[in-house]
Amino acid sequence: MVVLAPPPEKHDALRRFFANLRATPARVKDSAFRGGKPNTDRTRSTFVFGNVFLHLHPVRTHRWSLRWTATMGLGIASLAAFLITLITGVLLMFYYKPHPAIAYDSMKDIAFVVPTGNLIRNIHRWAANVMVLTVILHMARAFYTGAYRAPREFNWLIGMGLLVLTLGLSFTGYLLPWDQLAYWAITIGANIAQSPREVTDALGLTETFDVGGLQKLLLLGSDTVGEEALIRFYLLHVMILPLGLVALLSVHFWRIRKDGGLVRPADADRRLGPVHAADYPVFTEEPRKTYQLAAVVRGKSGAVARGPENTVPSMPHLFYAELAVTMLTIAICVALALVSDAPLKELANPQVPENPAKAPWYFLGLQELVAYSAFMGGVGIPGIVLLGLGLIPYLDREKDGTGEWFGGPGGKALVLQALFVGFGAALAIEAFAIRYGWLREWIPDIQQLWITVFNPGTVLTAIYAAYSIWLVKRHQSTRAGALGLFTCFLCGFVLLTIVGVWFRGPNWDFYWSPSDWPGH
Amino acid sequence: MSSNAPIKPSRLDPEPVPRRDFLGKASLWAAAATGVFATLGIARLPKAAVLSSPSRKFKVTLPENLPEGQAFVPPGRSVALFRDKEGVHAVSIVCTHLGCIVKPNANGFECPCHGSRFAADGAVTKGPAPAPLPWRKVTVDGSDCMVDEDASVPPGTKA
Amino acid sequence: MQANKHLLLWTSLVTLALLVFAAANENVFKEWRRVQSAASGPSGPIDVHLRQVVVPTLAVADRCVTCHVGMAAGEPVVAGDPTLKRHPDVGHDPNVMGCTACHAGQGRATEKAAAHGDVHFWPTPMIPLRYADAGCGGCHTHIAVPTVDRLAAGERAFERNDCLACHKLDGRGGTLRPLGAGGMEGPDLSFVGARAFRVDWYDAHLARRGEASGGPWDDSFGPLSREDRDALDAFLRSRVGAPKLVQAKATFNSLGCRGCHKIAGVGGDDGPELTLEGAKDPGRIDFTHVRGEHDLANWLAEHFRSPATLVPGSQMPVLSLSEPQIDLLVRYMLSLRRANVPEAWWPKDRVRAERLGEREFSVDGATLYGSFCAACHGPNGEGMRYPGMPAFPAIGNPDFLAVASDEFLTSTIAHGRPGRRMGAWGEGSGGLRASEIATVVAHLRSLGGVALEPDSRAPRWVRGDAALGAQLYGAHCMQCHGARGEGGEGPALANAGLLANATDTYLFETIRRGRRGTTMQGFAQPSTVRPTLADPEIESIVTFLRSWENQP
Repeated sequence: MVVLAPPPEKHDALRRFFANLRATPARVKDSAFRGGKPNTDRTRSTFVFGNVFLHLHPVRTHRWSLRWTATMGLGIASLAAFLITLITGVLLMFYYKPHPAIAYDSMKDIAFVVPTGNLIRNIHRWAANVMVLTVILHMARAFYTGAYRAPREFNWLIGMGLLVLTLGLSFTGYLLPWDQLAYWAITIGANIAQSPREVTDALGLTETFDVGGLQKLLLLGSDTVGEEALIRFYLLHVMILPLGLVALLSVHFWRIRKDGGLVRPADADRRLGPVHAADYPVFTEEPRKTYQLAAVVRGKSGAVARGPENTVPSMPHLFYAELAVTMLTIAICVALALVSDAPLKELANPQVPENPAKAPWYFLGLQELVAYSAFMGGVGIPGIVLLGLGLIPYLDREKDGTGEWFGGPGGKALVLQALFVGFGAALAIEAFAIRYGWLREWIPDIQQLWITVFNPGTVLTAIYAAYSIWLVKRHQSTRAGALGLFTCFLCGFVLLTIVGVWFRGPNWDFYWSPSDWPGH
Repeated sequence: MSSNAPIKPSRLDPEPVPRRDFLGKASLWAAAATGVFATLGIARLPKAAVLSSPSRKFKVTLPENLPEGQAFVPPGRSVALFRDKEGVHAVSIVCTHLGCIVKPNANGFECPCHGSRFAADGAVTKGPAPAPLPWRKVTVDGSDCMVDEDASVPPGTKA
Repeated sequence: MQANKHLLLWTSLVTLALLVFAAANENVFKEWRRVQSAASGPSGPIDVHLRQVVVPTLAVADRCVTCHVGMAAGEPVVAGDPTLKRHPDVGHDPNVMGCTACHAGQGRATEKAAAHGDVHFWPTPMIPLRYADAGCGGCHTHIAVPTVDRLAAGERAFERNDCLACHKLDGRGGTLRPLGAGGMEGPDLSFVGARAFRVDWYDAHLARRGEASGGPWDDSFGPLSREDRDALDAFLRSRVGAPKLVQAKATFNSLGCRGCHKIAGVGGDDGPELTLEGAKDPGRIDFTHVRGEHDLANWLAEHFRSPATLVPGSQMPVLSLSEPQIDLLVRYMLSLRRANVPEAWWPKDRVRAERLGEREFSVDGATLYGSFCAACHGPNGEGMRYPGMPAFPAIGNPDFLAVASDEFLTSTIAHGRPGRRMGAWGEGSGGLRASEIATVVAHLRSLGGVALEPDSRAPRWVRGDAALGAQLYGAHCMQCHGARGEGGEGPALANAGLLANATDTYLFETIRRGRRGTTMQGFAQPSTVRPTLADPEIESIVTFLRSWENQP
């Protein structure tokens, strides 16, 4: 009797099975990271475009864009702050309960017994503030370097959308703790939404056309801030607005690529000089590269600039920069979180208003204007400002000074002058209104419509507009007018915010210092 | 293909990276360490440090006319209390199989979820339950009983 | 790129260091961890973890027991810091109701300052330990308490009649056993007011005494007078385990505070309502002029010493209280807090007061007078004079009571004097019921000690010469009662309430006899400083006074 050996192919299959099993860890790694070690131009390229999280980046980055002064990292810092709020926000959702009866208690639990809860909440709060600040600064950077100009006009509009969403996220997050601060800030916010009634009332239209009432009803789901409002704000804060923000962010990043990368001066290559010898090799193999593919596409091709000779591989140059800025943002948020606890006042009490009831700091400029006319301060002037900002890229079709700080006719001197005019005018109007009051104090029974049209906010806006029109004429350049207008609005925003934060006390009266407030 | 001519260097070749990029490596490791530490901290958050349920030690007064062998389940609690001549004892009514609340009946307890049956002393008589119903610690103080749902006592212990 | 690497390296290290610091802060250096690691139970050190009392129906999650470990349910007796000791037996178990229901403070917090509520934005800080029994007020503001005098009378009766021989009270007495050694102890009466007692306790005692032969039943118990029994009843009803708080409420009931302040809708309107005085948010109080710690207790004490210093424009007179009295009043004010708890948790006194309409004070005449009238009319009806205010009439004056009918008194109390300090006290305004006003009137009669003189004349019998009356009024009355009877040093005579209620006899006799012991001297009495008026002259004054009746 002969014992038959197993069929050879069967034997082979088993052997192959074990060989495959042994090889699995290495193959998992290979299949996940296809390109291999990113140490050549090719593998570096694969590293970037072969990765879903990185492929929005270009494979190579212009050296100008990596200069600190080009962007100051503000865009990445905004994104980093957003990611921090996203992560910490999701963590807070483990414990936060959006109902008036228990929301405040759950905040106390987060502060006192949730492991790392207090730190996470503090980081969330500070990252949100940092985000508002960096988004505003990022916008200013984009404006002053002329980055809104063609072909980037539309991305400027997307950016404005992102600013509005950022403010919306901050504002909706404000109600969730359900403390006095939250309750009264949101009550004021909701009534600002209702403020178009100021105009419809004056025109006798409120009966038939109550857009203000409708806005408030949609925001609060009721006539006062209550459980309906809380669940709506929660939904907006954790779902609708973040999704919207992520969608717009994707477009924003995509458009950066499609619009030819970050803005840089036309003569950036010349200014940078030759690539440093120790740096990565420049594009040498095919010096006569053509852009036939681009030529096939109808219409404008994506801007490709002047060839790759002044670019460096994004991996690792760009990523070190991005990682460093991200880590810097984290460090700042954590440090602030350790230094200062996020505020949590007493439980919301619909019977006892906070005095003063202050909105978050970035809205205190508006609150200062709202003190005269709810409609103009809360809807009218912000609307005018947004409209003006949105129009800038379509009105300024000049090329001069793109990619340079304060580029354009007038340049730094003009911005400096605008700073004086902007601050001076805002300060003068504020000081006048604080010292002498406004129409209501002079003519007690005046129609509100007069104040709506003629109040410190509108006067200031008119001065700024007149000044920038004068600049357009004087320099024969729209850019000059835009520089003046933007600078002035920035000054107005900063000054009104400062007054709102530090110089307004109970009953929105003027105080030199919070220590002068009565009862303290 | 072979040639003795010196090969023209290509940008696709591995380039002469600095042999030791200490700074780059250190910065990446530092960032990674920070990330790991932060993740560890974050991972602690979902594990609650205190539970929001009330204390499982509680005081209860048995009805004066509770017949011997009949269970008394204090409202909102998951123990059945019995009183006989030897004293008071408490049997957990949480099924040891998958945590349903068992129902006291004439012979003991029955579980509505997967059909486990228990004898009056908690022993399993039928079904998938892997262990008998535990007895809980009872201390009698006058007319009140202090029951501790967290402390088990050997079956047969009566107070 | 080098710069970016440096930035990444250093920011990473800084972040890591910050996170390590935060982790250490949370996991090692917490206050409560130190307290718990210093503690030791019977079998060595105790587990270090967060502890809490959760009562879902009260929405309470009190973590006080994280530091006060000994007060948690089922914890072993722990030694170490005094923080760890057991809760004293006060009738409530902290594991049943939590801690904040009585002590206030921030139960969810786990750090001392925050938990005790001594932080910004925590509106209900812990009641200072020296006033701890004020916390009972959250649910038990409603105990019926008499005046200080009646309470003291009850206590004296209790001691004089040797009740302490068999009964324990607040830790005293109860040494004898009525049936000899080994017999039953006399019940502890410290909480008897909360648990209720037999109405017929006296008859039951007498019966037991009849059965007993010798022993404490004979030595220590004997027949009691009606007065003693009433006093004992009132006293025992107030024994709820919080003798100081009861004393505090009795003080409030004796000083006439309700004459100006409402509590739960009953009282005067001159001062602010006090129903929730003890739950005031210290964050909304001006502490500029308060010495010592800036808490509500100190503010209240300072306010009693000098009301207008703390509250600009306050009308409240300086009451010249002694420090112990101030301390008691502060205690009572702190107890006015009415915890918002589900009705299932209400004690019977709260149900009776808020649902069945029973009173939060004793309804005997002395207590009603003490609570509502004493501040203005004096503890014994002798009248009162505060700086800067017109004098308040002496309503216990025998000359007044001899001519003022019960109807006059009742109507005056129920409707007040419109436009004057004397408010209306009837239901719908001051909140007193008709039966209670009748009790007050009876008490007034007992204060004066005189009965109403019988008067057979019609209410309006005077027929005098108004012109002569006007002239006499200008000469003799105007200085005190005002040119148009609007009042000044003396009461307003042109008051519609007075003129509608007062009979002619009342006015006539008051002018004729005056009021002994007050500025108002009788005009029929011989005097060295002014002429004596004859009856017709007085009648013409009354006629003149009547002429104001129909004027607006």
